Amino acid sequence: MGDSMTKANASAAPQQAGLHARSNAALNEPRIAVRGLDFFYGSNKALKNLDFDLPERQVTGMIGPSGCGKSTLLRVLNRMYSLYPGQRATGQVLMDGQNILDDSTDINALRSRIGMVFQKPTPFPMTIYENIAFGIRLHEKLSKSQMDERVEWALTRAAIWGEVKDRLNSSAMGLSGGQQQRLCIARTIAVRPEVILLDEPTSALDPISTLRIEELIDELKRDFTIAIVTHNMQQAARCADQVAFFYLGELVEVAPAEQMFTAPKQKRTQEYITGRFG
Amino acid sequence: MSATTLHPASGPAKDLRVAAALGRRRRATTTVIKVACYAATAIGLLLLLSILGTLVWNGGSAISLRVFTDVTKPPGSDGGLLNPIIGSLIQTSIGTLIGTPIGLLVGTYLAEYAKSSPLANAVRFVSDILLSAPSILIGLFVYQSLVVPMGGFSGWAGCAALAIIVIPVVVRTTEDMLRLLPDTLREAVIALGAPKWKMITLVCWRAAASGIVTGVLLAVARVAGETAPLLFTSLGNLNWSLSLGAPMSSLPITIYSYAGSPYPDWIALAWAGALIITLGVLGLNIVARSLLRGRK
Amino acid sequence: MQQAVSLSADASRGPEPGGSASGAIRRGSSSGVLGDAIFAGACRAAGVFVLLLLGAIILQLFLGGLDAFRAFGLGFVTGTDWDPVQEVFGAGVSIYGTVVTAVLALVIAVPVAFGIAFYLTELAPEWLRRPVGTAIELLAAVPSIIYGMWGFFLIVPFMSMHLQPLIIDTIGTLPVIGELFAGPPFGTGILTAALILAIMVLPFIAATMRDVFLTVPPVFKESAYGLGCTQWEVVRNVVLPYTRVSVVGGIMLGLGRALGETMAVTFVIGNANRISTSLFGPGNTIASVVALEFGEATMGSLKLSALLGLGFILFVISFIVLSISRLLLRQRLKG
Repeated sequence: MGDSMTKANASAAPQQAGLHARSNAALNEPRIAVRGLDFFYGSNKALKNLDFDLPERQVTGMIGPSGCGKSTLLRVLNRMYSLYPGQRATGQVLMDGQNILDDSTDINALRSRIGMVFQKPTPFPMTIYENIAFGIRLHEKLSKSQMDERVEWALTRAAIWGEVKDRLNSSAMGLSGGQQQRLCIARTIAVRPEVILLDEPTSALDPISTLRIEELIDELKRDFTIAIVTHNMQQAARCADQVAFFYLGELVEVAPAEQMFTAPKQKRTQEYITGRFG
Repeated sequence: MSATTLHPASGPAKDLRVAAALGRRRRATTTVIKVACYAATAIGLLLLLSILGTLVWNGGSAISLRVFTDVTKPPGSDGGLLNPIIGSLIQTSIGTLIGTPIGLLVGTYLAEYAKSSPLANAVRFVSDILLSAPSILIGLFVYQSLVVPMGGFSGWAGCAALAIIVIPVVVRTTEDMLRLLPDTLREAVIALGAPKWKMITLVCWRAAASGIVTGVLLAVARVAGETAPLLFTSLGNLNWSLSLGAPMSSLPITIYSYAGSPYPDWIALAWAGALIITLGVLGLNIVARSLLRGRK
Repeated sequence: MQQAVSLSADASRGPEPGGSASGAIRRGSSSGVLGDAIFAGACRAAGVFVLLLLGAIILQLFLGGLDAFRAFGLGFVTGTDWDPVQEVFGAGVSIYGTVVTAVLALVIAVPVAFGIAFYLTELAPEWLRRPVGTAIELLAAVPSIIYGMWGFFLIVPFMSMHLQPLIIDTIGTLPVIGELFAGPPFGTGILTAALILAIMVLPFIAATMRDVFLTVPPVFKESAYGLGCTQWEVVRNVVLPYTRVSVVGGIMLGLGRALGETMAVTFVIGNANRISTSLFGPGNTIASVVALEFGEATMGSLKLSALLGLGFILFVISFIVLSISRLLLRQRLKG
């Protein structure tokens, strides 16, 4: 394993060897490719024949009116829907050539590769340190000093280290909403996933906390492939490299962010963006 | 490995072999615990089946028309359980009739009037304590308060003991059910110009009726099987008597004394009584639960 | 509701300046005010009645036991003799039996109850949750006397013929621990009583645990699953820490029930006033002593007073345990 990890940082040397070897050319290939995906809540079809890509190390913004299926798609990508009987997906969601919808998929391992941050901050009822260490311990064996280092790294990357470094052993419940959300992001990246799913991560936060999270997303995309569901058009324009517009369970249009907000191809996209419905 | 953690920022790859090994161990642990939980649930269900099975097996063979038509008689002379059954019906009914209105008013007081005032909190707390307090102590209390002053055991004392047990059950469900009603309903009634007591009695109670009835049924089920509070109050009576002023027979007390006796026919009758009472109590529970579910 | 009262009061005042035509309205409304006063008074009186009831129970038990408290002083609580012939009464043995059987019952019941709650909230398929949950709740509805009979005729023979000989041959041969399981396998005794109590409190604890587990917001569980947790890890690391206080409350509720359980224990505990080191040995509890010996006590006798005093002690213990349980449970189930 060592080889792939010895380089100083990811942005300096994007080429990798080892278990996740991908050539330079492959960088443009999607990290996750969705092909012909249908999704059902019981007999109700919520996603209709989706084809969709998450490009490597880019931020994909997902927009659309409530109930359009964008959150549902997010919950398909890490198989969260499998928790609930009656929800099922058909088609293909390809990651490294494997269909993660297959029954043979190790769901727990999959979720260590595809992290998720929720609308509401979800600190666990334990200390700040334990919140971060908890997820790491599930998948890795680290010594105490390695763990300390990793926790510091994750909190630093999530831009919250400075605020919590003196109280790592106090309860995470005592943090403010914005801090809790950054803690949850830290907890997610601490596991070092390849993809991070963000489900309206700022909708419960004040404008200043929102700004910090958006800056953070911009920072994180150097290392991670990110998908963010948002109701906020400006947020999508600010954060995303490509934007996808969903409507009634269908993918209406996907385009680079500038193009989507300046010259959308579809009439429905234009109507939604200009606020005529939704 | 050390390089990984010296430069954790270096990239999203991690040692998948370690992760897989850890994953196998974690899944194994989870599997062991899940199997233990399946076993625990199976034990719970088996216990219920075992109790019901034992009752049906022993009680079913002992039950006959005679059990319902004949009074208790000395061992070996083909008695029945008529007077205990009637005695239980009387005491349970009167106990419920006394306890229900009080419980209903207390629950209404808590939900509609006092809410979270200090007095209400105290009443709620005390009612919850009474709900779980040892029922034998209720028996002792009624003995001291009624049996001693009245100079003897009586059906009335039994009814009083059961009434005290009914009250907190009815309080709990009444308050819970009234609290489920939306405030808009109350405002709509008040807006029509109705006084508050009419709002409560004509609309709120009616809207919460199935829930309140559920509470009463559960209370009946609870007291119908109570034995300990009757030991020192209505005592039990092997002779036919419908007088509430005299010691009164009841099914649980009769089961208690018959089951501990050395006579096979009395023990058989005890099983028959146990089967009757359990079917009654569980039946009431099932009816009460389905009532509540129909409402939701 | 405050507004409601003032609203109807306003209505009764409102028409007055209007004069004659408002007579009918006024009469109706003022009867509403009177009705309100009567009804509110009745509700409040009922509430106060419940308070007085508890006070009266404590007072009656205390007054009833006063003779015994006076005669034996603190020795009534600590003394281990219970001799109706010599008229020497000490509650020590029965207090010991009450506490030991109840605690032992919890040791047996809590893990099983947790397993059932875990099954019902995380593992069971949707269609099985309700029927299995109802079955467990029905277990709680079975009357105490039935548990007594079932225990006496089914569990006692099972204990004496199978479980106890097995334990004697295995754990019983160990040093020190073996002492706990010494003596002949009569079937009755402290362990059997604890077992029956465990079965009786099991459904209460399981149902409470299930209810509090369900109060954990799904998004917290999802974020743990999102990190790659298994079901057990989610329950251990998120659900249990989240519900810790209420789970303890539920266990205390079970303890409160176990302490005061009478009929079932009376059938199987062996009813002997002695403290034996072996869990197979017979014993008694406060409730079983009261139930068994009350019939032989005559009104006004010292023995009757001693029994009422026992009742007072049991009430104090239960009151403390149940109060703690309520305080712990209220917080979450309200929130």
